[in-house]
Formats: sequence, C-alpha cells, structure tokens
Amino acid sequence: MQALNLDYMAGLVPVLLGYLPLTLGMAAAGMVCALILACGLAVIRVSRLPVLDQAAKLFISFFRGTPLLVQLFLFYYGLPQFLAFLVSINGVTATIMGLTLHFSAYMAESIRAAITGIDRSQTEAAQSIGMTNAQTMRRIILPQATRVATPTLMNYFIDMIKSTSLAFTLGVTELMGATQKEAASSFLYFEAFLVVAVIYWIVVEALSWCQKRLEKRLNRAYQR
Amino acid sequence: MTAFRTLARTLAITSLGLTTLLGTAMAAQADTLRVGMSGGYYPFTFVERDKLQGFEVDVMNAIGEQTGDDIQFVTASFSGLAGMLDSGRIDTIANQITITPERQAKYAFSAPYVYDGAQVVVRKGNDDIHGVEDLKGKTVIMNLGSNYETLLKELPYADEINLKTYESNIEQDVALGRADAFVMDRTSASQVIKDKPLPLQLAGQPFSRIENALPFRDNEEGRAQRDRVNQALETLRDNGELKAISEKWFGGDITEAPQTEGAEKNSDDA
Repeated sequence: MQALNLDYMAGLVPVLLGYLPLTLGMAAAGMVCALILACGLAVIRVSRLPVLDQAAKLFISFFRGTPLLVQLFLFYYGLPQFLAFLVSINGVTATIMGLTLHFSAYMAESIRAAITGIDRSQTEAAQSIGMTNAQTMRRIILPQATRVATPTLMNYFIDMIKSTSLAFTLGVTELMGATQKEAASSFLYFEAFLVVAVIYWIVVEALSWCQKRLEKRLNRAYQR
Repeated sequence: MTAFRTLARTLAITSLGLTTLLGTAMAAQADTLRVGMSGGYYPFTFVERDKLQGFEVDVMNAIGEQTGDDIQFVTASFSGLAGMLDSGRIDTIANQITITPERQAKYAFSAPYVYDGAQVVVRKGNDDIHGVEDLKGKTVIMNLGSNYETLLKELPYADEINLKTYESNIEQDVALGRADAFVMDRTSASQVIKDKPLPLQLAGQPFSRIENALPFRDNEEGRAQRDRVNQALETLRDNGELKAISEKWFGGDITEAPQTEGAEKNSDDA
C-alpha cells in the first residue's frame, strides 16, 4: 500500500475551507428558519388549536417519517414536474428549505416536550398573581423551557451542519461536494475524505464548546 | 403570519447571498450558455485545487470565444444533469455525452466532437477478463444514468451480469476489488490508468464505438443554441484548435472520426 500523501492533504485544507462558509451559512439559515417554524408548531400542539393541531401533527409525521434525502429529491427534482415555477428555486434555497422543514419537525417535538415538562405549579402560580395565558407563556414557561430544550436543539443544529452534505446531490458544491470532486480527480480517496472529516469534526467541537458556555449561562439562576 | 414573513424574507436574503457566493445562474440571459458537467470525470471534466478544468472545459471555452456566448459552468452529480437540462436549469451538458437513438429522440444534439469506444476496465493483475464477453457472472459497475448501462443491458447474456450503478467512485471500488470491472470510455480510462495511482488495467479492446456530442433542449431556443455551437465547432475543427485541445489532454486526436471500422486510438498501449 502507498503511504499517506500528506502534501496533498495539506494543499486540500485551504481549498476545502473555502467552502465552509457556504456549509455553515446553509446550516445557520436552516436553523433560524427551523426554530421559528418549530416554535409555531410547538405552540399549536401545546395549545391544541383545532384543525391547526391536526395539520401540525400531519406535518411532523411526514417530515419526521421520511429521509431528508427523499424530501430534497421530492422537492427539487419531483415537484417542478407539476409546479413549473419551482424550477427557479436553486439548490441552495432548496437545501435550506429542506433542512428547515425536516428539522423543524424534530425540533417542534422537543420544544413541545420542554414546554409541557415545566411543572403545572408554575402556571398556577403565574395565574394566581393575575398573569394572562400569553404572559405566563412568555415570562414564566418559555424562559424555563428554553433552558430545557437547548441541549437537544444544539444537537439538531450539529446534525443539520452535517446534513448540508446532502446538498451536493442537488448540484450545490458545498464542503462535501468539493471534496468529492477533488477525490474524483486525484483518486486519493482516503486523504480527501479524512481531511473533510476532520474539518467537520473541528467545527462541531467548536460548537459543542459554545453549547457548554450557553448552558452554563442558562443555568445561572439555578446555581447556589 | 409575521413568522411566516420573516421566514420567507430570511430565505430570500440567505439564498440571494449564498447564490452570489456560489455563482449559480438562475435566469438564462441571451448570451449566456449554462453548461452542466459532473466535474468528476478525469480528464474530461475535473476539479483540482478548486479549479474546474479538463478537455470539456477547454472545448466549451473555445466555443464561447467563437459564438461570443458567456460560458457558465454548473457542476452537479452526473445522474442529476439530465434533469437539470430538462427543467431548464442548464442549457447543455458537456460530459462525454454519447449520442443514442433514445437521447436523439429527446434532445437536439450538436455535431459529434469526440469519437471513442466503450471499454471494460479491471483491477491490475486480473487476467480472467479480456473483454465484454468475459463479464458473465461478474460484478460490473458504472455511473448511474450513463450510456454504458444501456450498452451492457443489450448484450445477449445481460441477465448473467451482476450490474450495479453508482453515483461516483466506480474506479475506487474496482481498484479495491469489490467489483470485478467497470465500463467507461476508452480515452478516460487510459488516461486515468496512466496518470493516477489506482491499480487498474484495460481489459481487451473497446467493444462499442461511441460518438459524443452536446445535447440541447429540443425547442426553438435550444436548436438556436445548437446551431451556434455547431458553427463554432466547425470553425474550431478547421483552424485546428479542437485538435490542439485534444492533444493537450490526451496526446492524440480524439475529435476526428476514425477512418476505418474499429480503428485503434493512438493514445496508449493496452
């Protein structure tokens, strides 16, 4: 067997790092949109709004029940067959939309669990001093639920960063796509994929560090 | 509703920013030719140190110089290219597209600009397989959506071949010994074996003649683009530029129709 080509790997690092902003950008955009959508879904599910609750249930069931890759193909390649205007949606937008829909379904459930997990006595106490339902939600429940939901939401964000690698199948050259192409011309597969694995790993490690700091901050009220 | 609007706006802004970053063109301008390719088919279209290059890239740029079109390359996995052409995301595909009757019925093809042959490639040292006739009972792999799949399925003993299609990296799986052979065009295969570290060898002679051309959508706009490109190809052929590009990448001329049936290409020893 041949030796590891370290020169090639070193040369590949700056090339691949050039694609990191796109990968992180798609994940960040997806995360922001998914959070907004997930909060909406969670509130609908918690408050059991008629019709909307059923719709939310169906939405979550579908987007949690099918692979992200299937969803991306369905929307990017499939739907334009019937809705011609969807052709104008490019691969990057389609990826962000796919990540948003897919991950919002998961996140809605963990936000819902965080909200329902807050002890009933908190709501009762808030109401006893005359807070309305909306006030109770905003001032009492959500701040506590945020603390509970943060670790799982960060988990989803990490998962989302890695899931952007599927964008290559929609013609988007992001981190994984760029690696795939470099490997296809050098045929140094191990070197190329090892470099990209380490890049993903470092990014996720950096995020985990941020998560720790964030959790510490959210825990301040509970420390004695 | 506000949430929805914010979502829509965020999407619009991010996609706008990222699109510019990526350089993917959306709308076809009159003087822009959007050319799809895989960027993973050495040495026709490949990426090295972030630079898209290869025979197809040079040919398309030369064509653009002739027609005055702005050539814009879009890379995507090979199997996705046809869908992108059909849905109008690109105008043509420069990826060694072989002319077949089925494709001819659907697309407006340019004049052929590469003459090649379908080649069986095996792991170095595999002397069981000397050509397409030895593939019975073997695992043979190829790129999804490629014409070689059709070629093999037309063989009388096709159901005795274990045929598998991949998205990419077929060379590696044969080099590793997971599959017995892959099928590719002779020119790329020879070049990969010559230039790259994979332990591979050609198995016998090419088994089918193939002609490569650029497919365009078969409508008024597509045919107009095709005609412009054909004119450019003719000029490039006459002034020797096409030949020069071929010699640069392959050390031989693959753009000229072979004179005799089954003529050997001069590039390589088998």
